[in-house]
Amino acid sequence: MTLAALFLPLVTALLLSFTAQAQAKRALALAGTILTFVVALFLPGDSGVAVPWIPGFGVYFALNPAGAAAVLVPVAALVMIPTVLYAGLKVERRGGAFIALLLAMQTGLNGIFLAKDLVLFYLFWEATLIPSLFMLGIWGGGERRAAVMKYMIYAMTGSLLMLLAILAIKPLSGAASYQLADLLAVTPQLALRTQVWLFIGFTLAFAVKLPLWPLHAWLPDFHEQNHSSGAADVAGTLYKVGAWGFFAWALPLLPAAATLIAPILLALAAFTAVYAALIATSQSHFKRLLAYASLSHMGIVGVGLFGLHLAGLNGAIYLLAAQMVSTGGMFLISGMLFDRKGSFDLSNFGGLAKSAPAMAALTLFVLFASIGVPGLANFPGEFMSLLGAYQNNPYLAAFATLAVIAAGVYGVNLYQRLYQGREEHGAVRELAGLELLVLVPIVVGILWLGLAPQPQLERIEEQSQLLSTQLEVQMTETVLLKGAER
Amino acid sequence: MPLVLPDIDWLTLAPLLVLLSTASLAALYALYNRSSKAVALLALLGLAVAAIFNLQLFVASRAGELRSSFGLRYLADQGALAFNFVILLGAALAILISYDYLKRAELEQPEYYPLMLLSASGAMVMAAAGDLIILLLGLEIMSLAVYVLSAWRQQARESAEAGMKYFLLGAFASAFLIYGIALIYGATGFFSYPQIVAGLLAEGFEQIFLATLGGIMILAGLGFKVALVPFHQWAPDVYTGAPTPVTAFMSVVVKTAAFAALLRIFAFIYPELGVLAVQSLVVLIALTLIVGNFTALVQRGIKRMLAYSAVAHAGYLALAVLAAGNLGMRAAIWYLTAYTLMNAGAFAVLTLLSDRNDHGDDLERFAGLARSRPYLAAAMTVFLLSLAGIPLLAGFVGKILVFSAAIEAGYVSLTVIAIITSVVAMVYYLRPVMYMYFREPEYEPLQTNSRSTHIAIGIAVFGTVLLGIFPGWWYSLLDLGQSLLAGL
Repeated sequence: MTLAALFLPLVTALLLSFTAQAQAKRALALAGTILTFVVALFLPGDSGVAVPWIPGFGVYFALNPAGAAAVLVPVAALVMIPTVLYAGLKVERRGGAFIALLLAMQTGLNGIFLAKDLVLFYLFWEATLIPSLFMLGIWGGGERRAAVMKYMIYAMTGSLLMLLAILAIKPLSGAASYQLADLLAVTPQLALRTQVWLFIGFTLAFAVKLPLWPLHAWLPDFHEQNHSSGAADVAGTLYKVGAWGFFAWALPLLPAAATLIAPILLALAAFTAVYAALIATSQSHFKRLLAYASLSHMGIVGVGLFGLHLAGLNGAIYLLAAQMVSTGGMFLISGMLFDRKGSFDLSNFGGLAKSAPAMAALTLFVLFASIGVPGLANFPGEFMSLLGAYQNNPYLAAFATLAVIAAGVYGVNLYQRLYQGREEHGAVRELAGLELLVLVPIVVGILWLGLAPQPQLERIEEQSQLLSTQLEVQMTETVLLKGAER
Repeated sequence: MPLVLPDIDWLTLAPLLVLLSTASLAALYALYNRSSKAVALLALLGLAVAAIFNLQLFVASRAGELRSSFGLRYLADQGALAFNFVILLGAALAILISYDYLKRAELEQPEYYPLMLLSASGAMVMAAAGDLIILLLGLEIMSLAVYVLSAWRQQARESAEAGMKYFLLGAFASAFLIYGIALIYGATGFFSYPQIVAGLLAEGFEQIFLATLGGIMILAGLGFKVALVPFHQWAPDVYTGAPTPVTAFMSVVVKTAAFAALLRIFAFIYPELGVLAVQSLVVLIALTLIVGNFTALVQRGIKRMLAYSAVAHAGYLALAVLAAGNLGMRAAIWYLTAYTLMNAGAFAVLTLLSDRNDHGDDLERFAGLARSRPYLAAAMTVFLLSLAGIPLLAGFVGKILVFSAAIEAGYVSLTVIAIITSVVAMVYYLRPVMYMYFREPEYEPLQTNSRSTHIAIGIAVFGTVLLGIFPGWWYSLLDLGQSLLAGL
């Protein structure tokens, strides 16, 4: 199952290049993504694989869906269904290649979530960048080349420094291999100084991809310039895997450094959440607004993560999964609106609820999910993230909560500017046929994650329980050490 | 180990002798029959036969048997044999690229192929040398042929200039090397590595300064050949001026041979020299990484960019040399295998894109290539991404092996420099890719096609991807749990 979930999208992408007819390509791609989703649902309980990849060098092809990966992979797979469907409808120029790149990205993402070997994790981390660069570079807007450069330099600088940390961690700790289990056995005993250096290496890569202020500057351009269908933006949203990197690798491997550095990161994350939400309120470009909104969500994810408490860790990963659906849904809706108006400039919209009431209702629903209305996808994660952070640092948690209020402002404001007021710029087409079908998985996902969080949270907790115990032990030790010094 | 005098193990010399005799035969044949095709095929056949002998030796050495000739002066240990494979592969790719190219550029002279074989045989001698004099012999055999080859386009000024420049600076490099050899001989009284080491370690040895100076001179001489900064000045001009297939040959085969020699000297002699010797390599590497990568960044012509990138790769490879020991040796061999495939591949693509005088390789010419020549663009993308070190391609694995060898050997800050300059490298490698895929065509591309070049590109793409996805087999072939270098 693990291997199938990993390689099905890639195999589908390869098959696409042997299919000539556009219609057949779409059908094949859709069938591939749906099948991947079904397979991903069976991931929990699967035993995974571990075979040597570079024997003699300690690198294993090790994948295991235990824990949170069994949540993130299916959710990402669910979001890929409407994305591929909508890309098939709206990407006219070389649509087949676009979908193939989307699917290649999905394989990379699944690899990132499933990898249990540090070098393998890095391999997927880095490989996923290439399709996302190509999607931006080939199908992007007028300023795409500058955006590609910016994105690439941010991502590469971060990840190469992580590579250094990865390559250094084995010889420094004397681990038997790069597998997570082997590393976990020895790396927490590394001297604090060493841990801090290694942690900084990881942090640079993960903070770019979280993203965390001040390393987020690539994000608004990335979204603004991506293809107008919004499909590439969804893939970009799924690719915000920095939080996963912290959760699955940096925090458990280097707990001493984590407890030392987490307060700084917590403050940065809280600032990111509020700052991005405030900027979102003043955006007039639809996709830039969504980019900042998404950045704000990731700030909350960071807040949950760096609170280093069980509830926050659970909440962070849950929110990571939930925002895939809600932010992804919003990007697809932005694509549908662009399809009607030919613009992302919010001043060109207004009063659309009259001509397209169903679209207005669905947008409101997804938007509510995105800004964290209870009962919908983002709420449990957001709540728990803030709760976790509160136990660590009440002031910063309270500050981060401002982001939730600001989210209400930009959310409602966005809805008003799109759908309410006078219909100054003419009527638009109502949602119809396949477009409606595109939004079905999004709505299902939002309700699924909003109403029944428990089974998913249990899977996440399987992994975060271990981590939080380890971190707590570490924190007590630090406190004891400090006491002894006095 | 006791020395047994003049002993010749013919099998150890077989790959070399095959190349030499094929070269002589081909040259004789060319006197009477000017068919390039027959000579080129003969050359490829010679390479294949040499590879078979080499394989036989490789299997024997994996069984733990050490074969050598002339009393450990010509070694057929794992390291040398693995390097031989890389050299043979590089030479075969270069010949495949050359065949139609020479016809197109009206440079077709059958003597071209024997010269390549002679140069490759010199390279093999360098890889096998366990003695400074043999090393020098190999270097001269290899270089003389390449001097001629790089001036092959006689009527063009750049090519003649390239040949001349390479010859003059090459002579300088040889002089450095010879002076270094002389100093070491003067200090220890020996030419062969084990004896030199024994001399250095002997009780009451006082000439350590002389020996260290000799070591540094040798480093400078070989540094010329692999183009380490500041001995790289010739490389961009020669690489750009020489006919592209010759550039491909120089950038892979010559580099492999020089690194093979450097690795062996570094593993044996350097640890016993003063700390200054090692430090000088550290400085050279740092300079090479920085200058090579940043200069490549500002080039507009792809061929010149690849020339500087070759300089930069010399820096990465030298990191593995610095790590010495088995880990560094394995990393270096692995990296050179990957490098041979991807670099020769990139030059092969270039021959099909530039005109018969090797002009028209500006970045602008690459615009929209994905549309006009999709397969060629895809192959070039594979090579460039691999050179940049993107995962799932051979270059990535090469980089992690080299970097971790360097880290394990304790050169962390140098590795940091290597990693930061890799980000710069990403930019210049990805720029042509962006031109190919993200822009509309500005020029009508040449529709040059060549079956033999296509075969070379196919082999290179296949190898680059295969080594990238399944790196384990070649790495574990180099893994015996014993030293790759005899006597270490």
